[in-house]
Amino acid sequence: MNEPQLFLVGLSHKSAPIEVRERVALNGADLKAALLQLRASQGVEEAFVVSTCNRVEVFVQAEAEEAARRFFTSRAEQASDHLYVKVGADAVRHLFRVAASLDSMVVGEQQILGQVKEAYGLASGVQAAGGYMSRLCNRAFATAKRVRTETGIGRGATSMSQVAVDLVEKIFGDLKGRSILLVGAGKMGTLSAKALRVLNVERVLVTNRSPERGRQLADQVGGVFHPWAELEPLLVEADVVIVSTGAPTFVLTADMVRVAKKKRRHRNLCLIDLAVPRNVDPACAQLDDVFGYDVDDMQKVMSANHQARQGEAVSAEAIVEAEVIAFTRERETRAALPVLVTLRQRAEAIARAEAERTLAKAGDVLDERVRASIEAMAQAIVNKLLHLPTVKLKAAAATGESALAGAAAELFGLDQPSGSGRRDTPPNGAAAPAAPPPTEEDE
Amino acid sequence: MSLELLRLAAALYAVAAAGYLLYFARPRHTLAARFGGWFLSGAVVVHLAAIGLACKEFGGLEWFTLRGGFVLTAVLLAGTYLLVQRFYHLPSVGAFVTPLTLIILLPTLFGEGGAPGEAPAALKHPAITLHIMTASLGVALFGLAFGVAVMYLLQEREVKGKRFGALFSRLPPLDSLDKLTDRLVRLGFLSFTVAAILGAVIARSVWKSAWSWDPQQVSTLLIWLLYGGMVQARHLGWHGRRYALLTLVGFALLMGSIVTLRTVPGITMHAGEYKGPRAEVVR
Repeated sequence: MNEPQLFLVGLSHKSAPIEVRERVALNGADLKAALLQLRASQGVEEAFVVSTCNRVEVFVQAEAEEAARRFFTSRAEQASDHLYVKVGADAVRHLFRVAASLDSMVVGEQQILGQVKEAYGLASGVQAAGGYMSRLCNRAFATAKRVRTETGIGRGATSMSQVAVDLVEKIFGDLKGRSILLVGAGKMGTLSAKALRVLNVERVLVTNRSPERGRQLADQVGGVFHPWAELEPLLVEADVVIVSTGAPTFVLTADMVRVAKKKRRHRNLCLIDLAVPRNVDPACAQLDDVFGYDVDDMQKVMSANHQARQGEAVSAEAIVEAEVIAFTRERETRAALPVLVTLRQRAEAIARAEAERTLAKAGDVLDERVRASIEAMAQAIVNKLLHLPTVKLKAAAATGESALAGAAAELFGLDQPSGSGRRDTPPNGAAAPAAPPPTEEDE
Repeated sequence: MSLELLRLAAALYAVAAAGYLLYFARPRHTLAARFGGWFLSGAVVVHLAAIGLACKEFGGLEWFTLRGGFVLTAVLLAGTYLLVQRFYHLPSVGAFVTPLTLIILLPTLFGEGGAPGEAPAALKHPAITLHIMTASLGVALFGLAFGVAVMYLLQEREVKGKRFGALFSRLPPLDSLDKLTDRLVRLGFLSFTVAAILGAVIARSVWKSAWSWDPQQVSTLLIWLLYGGMVQARHLGWHGRRYALLTLVGFALLMGSIVTLRTVPGITMHAGEYKGPRAEVVR
């Protein structure tokens, strides 16, 4: 029979194509049912499942990974080609890396931690995750938090719309009392206009060649539609203009912007051109008080941020490694404790029994004070004898060496249920309710 | 004694500058900026104590020399920044202003440390203290505006030139810098105006004439007109790059005129003996 340990079976954007991922991904009630099924499987003590659009990973505290593997194969046969399996510390490390967003498609993105937290919440809600998973997950969350605060892994925008927000923020601070103008119905433009709302935009103006589509768009981004003919007056009003039309030519020319600039009394104007081919004449960006960016500029920011994140990931990995080691050591110390506890219980029981016997033989000759000191002596011998083994066992456990604990169990016969060699079990009730705390007291 | 205190203040300014610069280089260390703020406050307190002591030690002539002017301007610059920070919380500005304070203070740390002597009799006028304080405050505010304008120009170069590097992420948004420059220029102009009016009043009473084509008066008028023009231009929509450049020009002129007028002997009656219009001196 194997000791139960942590197994991870999973697939992610790195190992499996979307066709496979979408077949095994679960959420809500289905996920709950699957968790209960896992928990009920033979040899599985605890389980929890992280299921997002980029990964489905099953963590089980079990004797073998079979049940976790079945989770996938029962849903999609071809999944077995894409599965990875990790055991023990490797599985712990994987979870910590996932929570810290080191394994994400966009390294350092923030969502994944929330998703892991949700997954754990769900699993503990249906009692699939217990004490071990609780310790494991809490450690993973703490690790993720450390990584976020101690490294710059989450810094710098890595999406087009976020870059747009950063740029606009560097020009205007916030957009309180200002308006943005969305020109055209391109997808990136719409996303960016929505993202810019975080800067407290006062008004969103929308214009589009086709009025129907334009009105739809205005509803979508919470703005007001203006007919295409009003484009030039709108340029005077707006502070940020996001252009993404399908037009093959410049929609905003330098002349248009020059005229608008005068009417704007030289207030700063930010032009973001998200269309390919470009919709804004690059000459506009040369004008004073006009800040113009195209898709290439935005890409440049993104890739620079991406590189910076990769650099930060190195120090993040070091944090994860330290946390994995700390966590597994804690586990092993915990694992060594049962041996220690049994050893001490056994020895104390013997000491008490022997003291009882001696005192019983002596009868009434001894007064209360002498009796007490004989009992104390027995206890002291136990403490002194067990002091060094206790220290050694704790130290061995802390360095991850489990052989010594096994040897101790073997040597003192702790594996056998108590009884053999204990012909002199103390009479019931004679045992003191609790042994005094070990070692410290008698030294 | 006052010189030792001034040197201690300079040391504190240096520590504060180091804190702010560290924060600027590594924005993660917000504590460095906080330390910078504490040390800057300490430096201002020590600096003020040094000024008080110098008044006793030297008798007052001190404040009519170039050196005294620098000592006053530096403390007002630092003090004003501390005040501004309460409202704006832009610790990255500290990385520009604190070293500027130190630079202004530096020439005063060497040599004798003050010109002993009573204030000239000609200047025993009740409004003289206010005149000097408002003039120095004006210079300090223009100095602060200068620091912020430098930041604006640096940031504009990054934002417009699409250089999204370290400076880009560390400097505050353009708009905040622009607004701050504008407010500082306005306040400085106000203070400078008060100083000029008081100056005219004092000149009228001690020299019998409010205006005597003294180079100091002429340059002050020019600088006053320049900053006044900036305040007006702001209403006409001038801002950003052009405004920041004007702020630089204004402060450069101001510093240039102060240094020239104080170092060339006899060029202005606003130095030395304060005897009044040259005509009288000749007679």
